[in-house]
Amino acid sequence: MEGFPQLTTWAQANVEQAVFYLLAVIAIPLAYGVVCDRNIIRSGFLLIGVFSTIAGLFILLSAQFLALAQIMIYGVGITLVVVIALMLTNPKAEKESMPALSIHKGPAIFVACFLFMCVYLALRSAENWPVKTDVAALSAAENLSRIGQSLLTNYSFHFEFASILLLAALIGAVMLAKAEPAVHDLNELSANEDKLKSSERADDVVKV
Amino acid sequence: MNPAVFEIGKFARLTVIWLSIIFGAVWAACWAVGVFAPALINASGMPTETASLASEVLRALVPVVAVAVFIPINAMFMVLCERRALALFTVRKGPNRVGPDGLLQTAADAVKLLFKEDITPHGADAVMFTAAPIIFFAPSIIGVLPLLAAASGNHELFRSVNLPTGIFYVLAIASIPVVGIVMGGWASNNKYSLVGALRSAAQAISYEIPLVLSIVAVCLMAGTLDVVKIADQQKDSLLSWNIFGGGALLPYVNLVVAGLQGNNEQVQAIMQHFQAQPLGPFAAVLMVVCCIIFFGIYITGACAEVNRIPFDLPEAESELVSGYNTEYSGIKFAIFFLAEFTNLFVVCSIASIMFLGGGHAPLPGLEQGFTEMLGGILKQLPGSKEIFSPGWLINSLVNPSTVSQAFWIILKTYSLVIFAILIRATLPRFRIDQLMAFGWKRLIPLSLILLIALTYLRELV
Amino acid sequence: MLSKSNLQSLLFLAVAVGITLLFLTGQVGGVLSGAGLPAYKADLFAFLAIVSVAVVSLAFGGNKTMIMIGGTVTAFIVLTAFQDSMVRYMTLGAIFFAIGAYGMVASRNAVRMLMSIELMINAANINFVTFSRAVDPEHLGGQLFAIFVLTVAAAEAAVGLAIVLAIYRNMATVDMEKFNLLKW
Repeated sequence: MEGFPQLTTWAQANVEQAVFYLLAVIAIPLAYGVVCDRNIIRSGFLLIGVFSTIAGLFILLSAQFLALAQIMIYGVGITLVVVIALMLTNPKAEKESMPALSIHKGPAIFVACFLFMCVYLALRSAENWPVKTDVAALSAAENLSRIGQSLLTNYSFHFEFASILLLAALIGAVMLAKAEPAVHDLNELSANEDKLKSSERADDVVKV
Repeated sequence: MNPAVFEIGKFARLTVIWLSIIFGAVWAACWAVGVFAPALINASGMPTETASLASEVLRALVPVVAVAVFIPINAMFMVLCERRALALFTVRKGPNRVGPDGLLQTAADAVKLLFKEDITPHGADAVMFTAAPIIFFAPSIIGVLPLLAAASGNHELFRSVNLPTGIFYVLAIASIPVVGIVMGGWASNNKYSLVGALRSAAQAISYEIPLVLSIVAVCLMAGTLDVVKIADQQKDSLLSWNIFGGGALLPYVNLVVAGLQGNNEQVQAIMQHFQAQPLGPFAAVLMVVCCIIFFGIYITGACAEVNRIPFDLPEAESELVSGYNTEYSGIKFAIFFLAEFTNLFVVCSIASIMFLGGGHAPLPGLEQGFTEMLGGILKQLPGSKEIFSPGWLINSLVNPSTVSQAFWIILKTYSLVIFAILIRATLPRFRIDQLMAFGWKRLIPLSLILLIALTYLRELV
Repeated sequence: MLSKSNLQSLLFLAVAVGITLLFLTGQVGGVLSGAGLPAYKADLFAFLAIVSVAVVSLAFGGNKTMIMIGGTVTAFIVLTAFQDSMVRYMTLGAIFFAIGAYGMVASRNAVRMLMSIELMINAANINFVTFSRAVDPEHLGGQLFAIFVLTVAAAEAAVGLAIVLAIYRNMATVDMEKFNLLKW
């Protein structure tokens, strides 16, 4: 916001905290929706909301590049793939019969509370981190060029390795998801063959 | 006279009238909010602090006002333009009854749509059903803001929306609408909608890769993501446009010109430069070819992103009724419709800024000459310093360089829009397997290879 | 709409908001310091108060979702209101992480487990970026790490979903309780 000095100072003074709490109050119910909603496809869409609010948090932390990458890769790419997988694996019949959450609710709540308390106490106990919040964050242009330079100098090995990982994941995903005759189809086939021989045995195979 | 020429003349008349309505309205709104109202506030004798804060807020609102005024009128024009252009290409008349020569057809359509009943189908997820058009439409408002800065030639009122992450921001925001499509298609509780939505998601994810790679190639040549800087680098002439290699051919053309003029010193200076790079001319020509192919890839990917024919499988009416928007009616359908045409306009304006030189004229000197001529006329006006005098009004309303930039970018962008309509009138629809095979087996490898080639050619030129 | 359980949970929300307001206006801290307890622990006590009220209203049959969401939001505000901004962001990250862990353990659908993992990865990303802003604002190590996390998460999602699809094709279900082929 160059050219708007008064607006900028006003925003820096008041807006950051308010926007943070606004995003948090939106994001926490959405995250609950992701894990608890009965309709699993809807929870897939809520996941998009969670990722978008997290992108908002990244902007507040002056990580503009990461926020945009978050929207582009997480908010749209990954989540859409998840939603499509849900639609492929979740015909309506199964959705009705299956409760959203399992019998492990008690242990799950315990695990969640335990993890949260661990992390929170660790946060509170560390009072002498070398925090430099008084140092101004890099401007968006500097942030961008710093990230680009680091990726191609200090982190170039990691960068190349990530590309190999992505290639391997791409090939692996294609191989895994490639259509092949499914086992239950084969079962049905053999069941049909058996049916011709003896109807009793065919019934057993179907039950198994 | 040949009736075809007559029809083309009528089409051109319609386009000119509508474009002047659209951009007159946008221009007037921006001027009223960004210049006139702050001047009124400053002259009204408020305390200085309050007055300057208020005028700052008003001036910061200008880009939003421009977009808000522009999008509805533009969508109305584009629907009419598409119908008339299709009629022209298929030798029909097109809508010509409402208003003088059908000028008001889409205004009437819009009014009709707004008064239709808004139906939520039985078994639909009401919240998602309502949220889908909004998610589809909102990105086209917030995503175009950096483009405004580039299109207006970094005018001071639009400078605040120019982000350093520029084109990356635009692309990230432009990837959101597909979420709205999938959401709407799923929430409609209709199998045609669902199939359309799934097709749209697969298509958008596949064609986003070549689209982004072609933009990456431009950013690679420009060395920045900032759209204003990218547009500025192409300001010299046609040859410095990114579609023609971003100035790769420029030294050779200069050589020919210098040779023709008999300017020996310049010829020798350029020849010395060539001796350092013996492969230069060859690499430059290859680079131009690469860039032109990249432009083609961009247009293909963009057509697929905004679901235009030949890639309009998500709403293929012969197979899927109307695809993801089958169940929508009334205002929600209007929003889908609005966003679809706005998205087409947005991808065309990205193309004209990234590849076709933004608001800069194709020939050197054209822009400067026009600016100087208009500036000279404006200076002659009486009382141009006194506030609220007629001279001040016209001077604050008309900025010569912005006028020239706006003219060229409007010409380029709407030419691309009409090109997209021409493609629609020409090509049949893909089949879904052909679409995916074309995307993954042709476009993505091609753009990757060209990108690698471009990085090396850049060093040789 | 206003069934008994909803009324219960509204009551709980009112109590929770009341505790939060008392805490935010400094009342709780004042009372505690009057009772001889150090004031900086006031937020922990307010947190415990909210949790106990939540447990009580759950025991009396309130609407679970409303109580969990309301309790988490108010507890989050109480825990972070007087902290510096770094702790604030990281507490939000910890809450996402806990929610993700809960979904991971409790959900039966394999895809929902993957979604919970994505949530936990994002919680970690929030912490990386916060550290990058607060501790290392010049070199941006945290942001770079977050970029690599993003990449690996994309690969993980692709392979994970492909596995889920393969399992679905073989077993005709994605219910985790039914993948028991390896159970002796």
